[in-house]
Amino acid sequence: MTQKERWKKALWLYLYFAKVGCYTFGGGWSIIAQMQKDFVAKRGWTTDEELLDKISVGRSVPGTMISNVTLLFGYSQAGVPGAILSVLGIITAPVIILSILTFCYGQFRDNVYVARALVGVRAAVVPIMLVSMKSMVKTAFPYKLCYGVTLLGFVLCTFTGLSNALVVVLGGLCGLAIMRAVDAAKAGKEG
Amino acid sequence: MVYLELFWSFVKIGFTSFGGLSMIPLINHEMVSHGWMTLEEVADIVAIAEMTPGPLGLNCATFAGMQVAGLPGSLVTVFGVLSPTLTVCLAAAMAFEKFKNSRLLANLLTGIRPMCMGMIASVILSQALSNYTEAGSLVWPAVLIGVVGLVLLARFKLSVPKLILLSAALGLVLVR
Repeated sequence: MTQKERWKKALWLYLYFAKVGCYTFGGGWSIIAQMQKDFVAKRGWTTDEELLDKISVGRSVPGTMISNVTLLFGYSQAGVPGAILSVLGIITAPVIILSILTFCYGQFRDNVYVARALVGVRAAVVPIMLVSMKSMVKTAFPYKLCYGVTLLGFVLCTFTGLSNALVVVLGGLCGLAIMRAVDAAKAGKEG
Repeated sequence: MVYLELFWSFVKIGFTSFGGLSMIPLINHEMVSHGWMTLEEVADIVAIAEMTPGPLGLNCATFAGMQVAGLPGSLVTVFGVLSPTLTVCLAAAMAFEKFKNSRLLANLLTGIRPMCMGMIASVILSQALSNYTEAGSLVWPAVLIGVVGLVLLARFKLSVPKLILLSAALGLVLVR
């Protein structure tokens, strides 16, 4: 990719994320779902696996999950300009909206219609996450043991206060163990 | 120099929290100890940050910056809270692309991917609990909107922004 093409794509990414940034609800998971739809299913710029990798990294380093994932995706698409412009894109709408709201937040906070609309918006977050997770399931489990790892991850995150970074490290160790077992089984068959 | 102090406060908040509600105690501490805000005002920020699009930490940063020092203040706090993303995460992105084809990384990812699915499943559970129940009982309009959303997404391939707008409209009509 030439420098010019890279900046062009970075600019495109800025506009894309500025647009979807208006719909960041549920801790940014709605954005992940939309990215999966647009970049995995529609354009084929990335795969479910790669997106899942970015979520893992984004959640295990400090910073807000969605800005991290956006940066990782932007970098993979158009280098440093892509990374920075993608993050600037995702924050544009929230920063503008919040800046304006500072002047009238009292009315906004106590407005009964806003509260009702928000019950609706929040109710949409779970189906959005479920549907995007369903298509990731197809690719995240090449071996049966992986289902056990998912169960472990669910239990650890739900019932213990273990930090995401530690959970991801543990996942990596499980991966090494699984591959060792798979290689051993293969060698056993051949030998 | 209030800008520098604001920036440093949110650098600290950004680096020591892993998103979501985990940053609230720290925001409380930074705002109150500097005398920038009262506890009630911080509670207001959190409420507003949850009601508007955007990640919670970023919204809190924008709002606090605006309150304390106007638009320049909010720019400073936003870049403060983004500082881990723009440094640590960018470094991680570079390392990741560089070792993308290594066998070791591939093996690690074989376990990390399903682990991440487990993490997401846990987030879905906690979201479901907080979005569909209130004081231990189900909020029926929310449940209904959730089911409608699932059908529209899975069966009719509705886009996420459209679903969010539709759900907001349904919330206005159904919630009492």
